[in-house]
Amino acid sequence: MKLYLKIFLWFLAAIALMVGVVIFVTRSFQTEPMVSRWQRSTKNHLIFYGSSVEQVRNLGGNAELASYLEKLRDAGSISDVVLFDSDKHVLIGDPAIAHELTPIIPEASATTEPILIVNDSDPAIGGISVKFADGTSGVLAIRWEPPRGQSLFFDSLAGWLRFIGLVFTAAVLCYLLAAYLTTPIRKLREVTHRLAAGELDARVPPRLKKRRDEIADLSKDFDVMAERIESLITSQQRLSRDISHELRSPLARMNVALEIAKQRANEETLPILERIENESARLNEMIGRILTLARLESGSNDIQKSPVNLTEVVKDVAEDADFEARGKGKSVVVLRADECRLTGNENLLRSAVENVVRNAVKYTDDNTSVAVSLEVVNGSAKIKIADQGTGVPESEIEKLFLPFYRLAEARDRKSGGTGLGLAIAQRAIAAHKGSIKARNLDHGLEIEIILDRPKN
Amino acid sequence: MEKVLIIDDDEELCELVSEYLGVEGFDVSCVNDGETGLDEALTGKYDMAILDVMLPKMNGFDVLRNLRETSKLPVIMLTARGDDMERIVGLEIGADDYLPKPFNARELAARLRAILRRTAEQSSGDNETGEKIDTDGILISSAARTATLHEQDLGLTSVEFDLLFELLKNAGKVVKKEDLSENVLERKLSPFDRSLDMHISNLRKKLGPRGDGSERIKTIRSVGYIYTVV
Repeated sequence: MKLYLKIFLWFLAAIALMVGVVIFVTRSFQTEPMVSRWQRSTKNHLIFYGSSVEQVRNLGGNAELASYLEKLRDAGSISDVVLFDSDKHVLIGDPAIAHELTPIIPEASATTEPILIVNDSDPAIGGISVKFADGTSGVLAIRWEPPRGQSLFFDSLAGWLRFIGLVFTAAVLCYLLAAYLTTPIRKLREVTHRLAAGELDARVPPRLKKRRDEIADLSKDFDVMAERIESLITSQQRLSRDISHELRSPLARMNVALEIAKQRANEETLPILERIENESARLNEMIGRILTLARLESGSNDIQKSPVNLTEVVKDVAEDADFEARGKGKSVVVLRADECRLTGNENLLRSAVENVVRNAVKYTDDNTSVAVSLEVVNGSAKIKIADQGTGVPESEIEKLFLPFYRLAEARDRKSGGTGLGLAIAQRAIAAHKGSIKARNLDHGLEIEIILDRPKN
Repeated sequence: MEKVLIIDDDEELCELVSEYLGVEGFDVSCVNDGETGLDEALTGKYDMAILDVMLPKMNGFDVLRNLRETSKLPVIMLTARGDDMERIVGLEIGADDYLPKPFNARELAARLRAILRRTAEQSSGDNETGEKIDTDGILISSAARTATLHEQDLGLTSVEFDLLFELLKNAGKVVKKEDLSENVLERKLSPFDRSLDMHISNLRKKLGPRGDGSERIKTIRSVGYIYTVV
């Protein structure tokens, strides 16, 4: 409807402009000749009226003349007719308006030519001297409505009706034009929405492509684009599935072979085999995380959401992490856990919190604890996880969530991270339209996760 | 020797697993596609089956679904690691346990033994009079390994059966997660392992709430579970 309004206003503006131009052109080229033409014909009329008045009075006297003048007054654009005698007295006519016509007398009585006084604002007054058969003379004075550039609108009811009619016609025409233009655009938009919502096989209805205009071209281009996106995404999904299968199959075989080797191992080879087992487990974990990341990045639409008790998730993770941390002389403490339920994917939320908490446990100094809190503020869930480690240089803080980003290479290798935990956490939170931020504390790093909770 | 059927399209893996399990004392046969796998599993020659999800001709879920129509053969599913859907679907259609691939062969052997022990108890219990529990409309016979709710068979997997049995034996008392893990899953409880919660949640679904809407099995945070007594 916005387009309709725009088309309508532009249409009106165009019409107004055109009317303006026409009026301007008429005024500047036509008005002058028109007025002089009118003056010429009016003067001819005056001569004719003058001689007619003389004849009528000569033949029929004053009574006949009065009825003739009456007829004259009713005709055409003449509004008043008065016959003065040579002493400027009213001979025939309405004495009440006679004085308005007297200015013409001196000039008219001085000549036999018709006289016309035209003034822009007043009605035109014409006069001609007349001589009757009985020897008396006088001046016939006539007042005309002069021609003027009549306004198209606003002056009268008809003008208003014309105006309203024009606007109405414009409105209807514009509506049809807008409908003609916007209907296909709206259809195209629906298809775009469907595609954006993950319906990869969404295509423009064929009827739209039959038009012969830019919209049809756009529709065809859209289909080409949708085709391409679909093939890219499906091939990417297939690729990540294939990677999973292809990389893990040899890994699975290796693990079993490893166990067989261990069955036959002696004291010397066993530690080496166990080392291989550890590395294989790490490789496997990394493959899993890359896949999780790929799945999260490929689109958040196929994530299934259900009611989640976030408090339980946070407590569970903190508890498990605490259990794990105690082995390294560290601990995880829950400072606060508000009651919080929201709609989301429990596994993703769990893995997000777990990744952040385990990361914090990894980097907190020995014999210190990681503080976890869950607060509900203004309907949003705010999870804070603070460690007591060395923190992160301010310049690097944004890069923490990049995949495979490593802050301190040496430390990380020792602690055996994959460099993907925080990246996964960020994608998982983003899939819930939440935010995750890191900031340095006086001593340590705090990661804050904010999840909006739709109000029930 | 217990006969184990492996249904997996990775022939090399099958060979390796056969070799490993052979040393561990199992008699292993391998089949490489879903259809033959189902036919083999239905012959009744085997004590249990290891079933992969991604299989040619018929996928693992379909094999299991068809198998469960007539057979109670214990099945361990091999699922893609990190794919919770596969795990949940597998357990829902009646897998006795699952193992994410790539798996640890020792773990596989341990789980096979755990499941076999259960089935052994079941078959040996047919003759004896095993323990029977009759509470809250639920009737459990440890000998026949059957569980009914208001005379309706609950269709529990062996893990779910053992969980319910443990909880009912201690009805009204909290059963620790650690104990459940060790007694039922026969492994130590490890952090971030949610399989116990998964089985309990499936069990809850099958039992449903009581008539008055109250939950039969309650979670006691960070301790364990309790079968509530009215």
